[in-house]
Amino acid sequence: MIGNFIDGPLWYFSLGVFLLGVAWRLIAIVRIGVAVDFSEPRNGGSGGALRTLFSRSLPRRPVITRGKVQLVAGYMFHLGLFALLFLAQPHVEFISERITGFGWVTLPHWGFILVSEVAFAGLLLLLLYRLMNPVTRLISDTGDYTASLLVFLVMLSGCLALAQAYEGLRLLHLLLAELLLIYFPFSTLMHAFTFAISRGYTGASMARKGVNA
Amino acid sequence: MARMKFYCDAERCIECNGCVTACKNENEVPWGVNRRRVVTIKDGEPGERSLSVACMHCSDAPCAAVCPVDCFYTTEDGVVLHDKDICIGCGYCFYACPFGAPQFPADGAFATRGKMDKCTFCAGGPLEDNSAEEFRKYGSNRLAEGKLPLCAEMCSTKALLAGDANVLSEIYRKRIVNRAGRTLQRGVSFQNATLRSPRGLQGKASTIE
Amino acid sequence: MCRPASGMVILLVLITLLATFSGSSVSAQTRQEGIQIPNPGADLWREVRKRQQPAAPGVKAPMSGAPGVDLWAEIEQTGRAPVGTTQIKSVDSGMLINAIGDEWRRFRMERLIPYAGYAIAGMFVFVVLFYLIRGRVPIHAGPSDKRLLRYSAYERTIHWFIASIFLFLALTGLTMLLGRSLLIPLLGPEIFSILASASKEGHNLFGPLFLLALALVFFRFVRRNIYQRGDLTWLLRGGGVIGKKHVPSNFFNMGEKSMFWMLVLVGGVTAISGVILVFPVLGQGREIMALSHVAHGITALVMILVIIGHIYIGTIGMEGALEGMTTGYCDLNWAREHHDWWAERCENNGEVVTVEDAHGAEGFAPGAPKRQSIVEAGE
Repeated sequence: MIGNFIDGPLWYFSLGVFLLGVAWRLIAIVRIGVAVDFSEPRNGGSGGALRTLFSRSLPRRPVITRGKVQLVAGYMFHLGLFALLFLAQPHVEFISERITGFGWVTLPHWGFILVSEVAFAGLLLLLLYRLMNPVTRLISDTGDYTASLLVFLVMLSGCLALAQAYEGLRLLHLLLAELLLIYFPFSTLMHAFTFAISRGYTGASMARKGVNA
Repeated sequence: MARMKFYCDAERCIECNGCVTACKNENEVPWGVNRRRVVTIKDGEPGERSLSVACMHCSDAPCAAVCPVDCFYTTEDGVVLHDKDICIGCGYCFYACPFGAPQFPADGAFATRGKMDKCTFCAGGPLEDNSAEEFRKYGSNRLAEGKLPLCAEMCSTKALLAGDANVLSEIYRKRIVNRAGRTLQRGVSFQNATLRSPRGLQGKASTIE
Repeated sequence: MCRPASGMVILLVLITLLATFSGSSVSAQTRQEGIQIPNPGADLWREVRKRQQPAAPGVKAPMSGAPGVDLWAEIEQTGRAPVGTTQIKSVDSGMLINAIGDEWRRFRMERLIPYAGYAIAGMFVFVVLFYLIRGRVPIHAGPSDKRLLRYSAYERTIHWFIASIFLFLALTGLTMLLGRSLLIPLLGPEIFSILASASKEGHNLFGPLFLLALALVFFRFVRRNIYQRGDLTWLLRGGGVIGKKHVPSNFFNMGEKSMFWMLVLVGGVTAISGVILVFPVLGQGREIMALSHVAHGITALVMILVIIGHIYIGTIGMEGALEGMTTGYCDLNWAREHHDWWAERCENNGEVVTVEDAHGAEGFAPGAPKRQSIVEAGE
């Protein structure tokens, strides 16, 4: 009974909250608008916006020399999680069945396991470093820990359900994923979408000033 | 109460692999798994013998002893079966079994670690007899229909026998006695004798049993 | 004793009782009971085998030479590579009887499971008794207001990284090892199956991470863990347990160094044998896998026992020991009493900070001294 609830209504509810929440927050940010820049632009902004959107994915020199754990673990976690989420065969099947109606190329099983290991190592190291480094500990709030912990629990329950043979374990994974979807729009996890806006804005305004940033 | 057994007669097995094919076809065994296999010893040498092996349905089954989730059970007919709803695919039965009966199917986590599959003596599993789900998980349940395992039923030389241990022993005993008679008649050792054409009892070996 | 500590003792006693129970009921074959099928053939066969046993190794069985016996020797293939040929192409498929399987079964069911249960229970009993008799090791000079930077943020991160992975692997591994005797009677086979499957998948996935964590810990701490003069004295005096005085030591004492090398060597064997077991696609046969399992079981048990001791001495067993691994700073008086050579060098290098600085900074205060003492410790 609770299984039907998790698999049915709660799934649609959480998906709705996620989609509407993300749309609402993005629209709210866009509606704030950009302050009018009266100075004459040296270049068009679009090129700079596009370049910054991608160039900021590469680490900058001060970052490379200072925080190695966060740098390496950060890449491990984000790339691993992305591959895990969108290229693992059970996930693609789920998305194809529930949302899109079509699937795409998936990782072989060993690839799935490998990216999971990479993502787990990255997340654990990041979470522990956040706790151990006094600077990150000082600037972390409950929201950061909630988000990290929720993502970790979703990943852990997914790992425990790898046999794909027990309904209970699948439902646990789904329930935690639903909680994450509901929490997503109201937390710092929104950076998965807003990073594009902030990078684009920075890139565009810098390009207008003629600065290569 | 019967006690089910497989007997394989090394003097009769001609390595045709009919039992292997029959088993795969009857039970629609997953890809990569062979519940039965024929092994030939001294292939191409004097004294060559072949044996068809599958689960021996042991009294004190090592697979059942080592299973961490206790998913094996012995039926009233002495058939060792396992419950795929409980099996976690750890592979311990695979290590413990002397005969290589339990095997990993080639899908599942880490490429080869799905739920174990093994010979069921064509007795299905713990689910409802001859249900679609039982067939999907365990294959055919011929015992429930009053039939014996297909591998033995298909054996063209009747080397592989399946059924109640007492009946099989009796058949086998008769064969041994007959062979001993042939050996004495020819005055050579039995193993050498079978490589020659039989004299005296020509054409009668299979009918006399 | 303070209140949380006595609560801890009660918890330990409970765990101990539970673990002791594990040893006694391992041979229970819950599903096998009730069905007793007479099998006179098997008894007869056992008798025949007994009589066939050779008088001495190397001497052939008395029945050898009779028809069928040589064939049987071929079939049995004891201690030899598979000689049969078969159309079924997979690892070891030409082997008719795998003799090591039964030996492995005896090892797992009659040795590993009961001894693991008793050993872990015994370790808990030992720790509880040790605590009740010796009590918590205090800082004799009392807590000071001076601190020494003991572990950097990175060192603490990789410590807790390997610690969390180890605890997860130990719990999931013990679930699979002792679950049949301990948990199936409580949960029933269906629920336990879900737990065991989750444990197995989690254990498999996190296993290789242990190898990564072990490598990180090894490269970071190896220089400080090389044995040096004075370690033998430490060992001979039982690390201060024998006699009253503390034995001098460097950044790590003899016991900590030994634990490090145990973790690297024994843990390395555990991790590598685990990799052999977890990827049955590398062409390894059942013999190698059974041997890997034996190595995995024994080394993991040794690690679990040592780590129980490590957790005890790092938390309730010693005052001032945990702070170094949580805040990064240890008390100066604690360092003087337990790692006096290192403490002395820190003081000479001017690396002592006040408790206020340590509290606010944890190694990141502006102008915080570089840890020259640690570089020296490894030399």
